[in-house]
Amino acid sequence: MFLEQLTARQFRNLNEVDLCWGPGFNIIWGNNAQGKTNLLEAVYLLGHLKSFRGARTAELIQEGMTAARLTGRLVSREVRHRLEVSLEPHGQTPRLDDKPVQKLSQFLGTLRPVLFTADELVLLKGAPAGRRALLDRAVLQADPGYLDRFHAYSRVLRQRNQLLKERAAPALLEPWNEALIENGARIRHDRQVFLAGLQQVLSGIGRDIADSSEQLSFGYPHAGAPDQLQAGLRREQEQLLARERQLGQTLAGPHRDDPEPLIDGRPLKLFGSQGQNRSFLLAFKAAQLIDLERRLGEPPLLLLDDLASELDAGRQASFFAFLRRRRGQVLITTTHPATLGEAVCPQARYFRVEQGRVEERQAI
Amino acid sequence: MLDSIPSFARLVAELAKFPGVGTKTATRLAFYLLRQPDAAAAALATAIVDLKRNTRFCSVCFHITEQDPCPLCVDPARDGSLLCVVEEPQAVLAIERSRSFRGRYHVLHGALSPLDGIGPEELRIAPLLDRLKAGEISEVLVATNFTVEGDATALYLARLIQPLGIRTTRLAYGIPMGSELEYVDEATVQRAVQGRREL
Repeated sequence: MFLEQLTARQFRNLNEVDLCWGPGFNIIWGNNAQGKTNLLEAVYLLGHLKSFRGARTAELIQEGMTAARLTGRLVSREVRHRLEVSLEPHGQTPRLDDKPVQKLSQFLGTLRPVLFTADELVLLKGAPAGRRALLDRAVLQADPGYLDRFHAYSRVLRQRNQLLKERAAPALLEPWNEALIENGARIRHDRQVFLAGLQQVLSGIGRDIADSSEQLSFGYPHAGAPDQLQAGLRREQEQLLARERQLGQTLAGPHRDDPEPLIDGRPLKLFGSQGQNRSFLLAFKAAQLIDLERRLGEPPLLLLDDLASELDAGRQASFFAFLRRRRGQVLITTTHPATLGEAVCPQARYFRVEQGRVEERQAI
Repeated sequence: MLDSIPSFARLVAELAKFPGVGTKTATRLAFYLLRQPDAAAAALATAIVDLKRNTRFCSVCFHITEQDPCPLCVDPARDGSLLCVVEEPQAVLAIERSRSFRGRYHVLHGALSPLDGIGPEELRIAPLLDRLKAGEISEVLVATNFTVEGDATALYLARLIQPLGIRTTRLAYGIPMGSELEYVDEATVQRAVQGRREL
């Protein structure tokens, strides 16, 4: 998969940007706060219809403007597609090949960029919500249909929490208990199936990328066939129901599960060093790239935001060696283009970003 | 511009409240009415007034009707032992168009949604139970919508109805007629596979 071209109009500080990317490494360089990450955000948005910085649509539009627009031209299995997203303060309109989109999952399946940002490092060792977000994002990338199932579960969860807050009678709660079990078990199943598929890749990759002989894995607290998962969640719910009523919120369900990164079977969040933390995230992203390539039949696009600042030279070198072998398209932001020279990224194209303007220009 | 013709502006403002109608369409409709003979405008006005004056909800099934009980409830050719429960009157019309159902109906006027403050008291559930306790009905077909809220409502009703010894069924999930599998969304295909049956 190859994003040939990107245009941005009134998107954050990118007033008028027209770019042709190269099929391999593309290095976006410049000082801080010039708009480098905005470029990655624009590409990410064309793939996921969402900002990876959690920004609302209104914040993405340049100040004083009423709308922004992004377009991208992409080549996927020798077919060109045109992606377009118009952003207005209260919403966005995606168009695929100049046609309105009937179902969002159809648009989301077209460009599937994998993002690696230093911000995600804190997710691995922080609260469970961060690890869930990391995992859910990966599942969604592998299977765009996950979005509908995730939304259905979130809706049931909010409805049920409302009843628990109101201290509603058991008979009223009952149908929502059932709905939560059905929808919740489906989310657990999706996550677990994804992780099982990833595990094989992940366990082999530690050596390749992270330069370590440690065994990496991503543990998930629930496993089994759909009906077993339903039975399990039902038991959990029965046990916790009294407490749920007390607290006025749902305690049993995939929204509380803690997916656990493990190194040699030991939880990373307890025993991992900073270095191991970085290695794990790199390996997880690399495994995701391989897994996604297997599903798509072509290497997906990789976005690396300010990776250099977080990795030591050794880890960086082995990660880039991995990327070179894979031959996918990579967009990298950096303040120090010199460290990503010819040895690391051969045939790279360089784009300099300054005050929201972008020009193709060799560094140094 | 519209401010100088208040009657026109008023009609546009009223029409623009319709679902799916914006100012542009409302203006077009208003211009259309302007060009019609007086009698046509009067006929439309009367039709609207009559709709509100003459219709009400049937006191038995809560479908829209001009006579109470409604024709569906009094039709002797219908099977009184079979009752179909729906969320909205539109669903009655949809099922009637299909001519596949010869029982009677009960309209709930909504579905359970705690977030919107809609509980059983806000729906026509109590009169439904009264109908069931009268004893004539032997099967209830729950035809609420296939949304999170519609499914929960169906489950809630099943728990209430089953203890009365009445058979409770749910509309089947499936692939739309005349459609090709490859164009049907995943969730529907998934449910259709789960609900497969013997040939």
